[in-house]
Amino acid sequence: MSTVKVHIIKRVTGWAIKKEGNEKASKIFKTKIEAIQNAEKFRMDGNDVIVHRSDGSIENWKKSKK
Amino acid sequence: MEFDKSIFINCPFDDEYKPLLKTLLFVIKKLGFIPRISLERNDSGEVRLNKIKELIESSKFGIHDLSRHKSKKSDEYFRLNMPFELGLDLGLGCRDFNPDSKFRNKKILILEQEKYSTQKALSDLSFADCKCHNGQEEELVYEVRTWIIENGFKVKQSGSSLWDEYNIFNSKLFEQKINEKFTQKDIDLMSVAEFLGYL
Repeated sequence: MSTVKVHIIKRVTGWAIKKEGNEKASKIFKTKIEAIQNAEKFRMDGNDVIVHRSDGSIENWKKSKK
Repeated sequence: MEFDKSIFINCPFDDEYKPLLKTLLFVIKKLGFIPRISLERNDSGEVRLNKIKELIESSKFGIHDLSRHKSKKSDEYFRLNMPFELGLDLGLGCRDFNPDSKFRNKKILILEQEKYSTQKALSDLSFADCKCHNGQEEELVYEVRTWIIENGFKVKQSGSSLWDEYNIFNSKLFEQKINEKFTQKDIDLMSVAEFLGYL
């Protein structure tokens, strides 16, 4: 299975999980912590999760767990 | 530089504003325009006011962020550069008093951090429809995109798509710089002039 980068991005309505290359976000969460926790499954599948700050810069680059 | 595609940027250059400025520069470039900013060149021998005048006169568009007209603590001076340069752009610079007809169609976007705050500080601008970004980079993207459309340009990309693209751009730059042995701190502290080079 090919790996993709998964981004956690600030939205006016909360925090989005978005796979790079997809047009739309997978899901939007009320809090950043919820989004980060939910993105863990993508790491288990071999994807990097990139956590952004609210200004768009990089807060944390979480490498895949595979 | 192409006059019809150039946007003069008049905004704070402090560290707090830097993330907003980087976002602004990205969106302007992404939408096919040329950002013109006094930080684009640093020649100590150049008189600052002459540089500002040259940037204003070579840009059909102007974005003026007046977010710093209010001091945050006692004894702090509020910043006068931004309203001063807006005045230059509106008047001497060009739009209403310059005899050259190309300046008659000059378009200006006035940004503020707090809704209606500009009218309180600068009542001469009570006619102006200032746009508020609330200090949020994402909202800035939406406001700039809307302004470009309102001035007759077609923008296919949605505001949220542009915002996501900016985030992804940051991740690609981050990855590149980490591979070049930059630390996260180096990347966070990257100057606007250096950042411009990657757009």
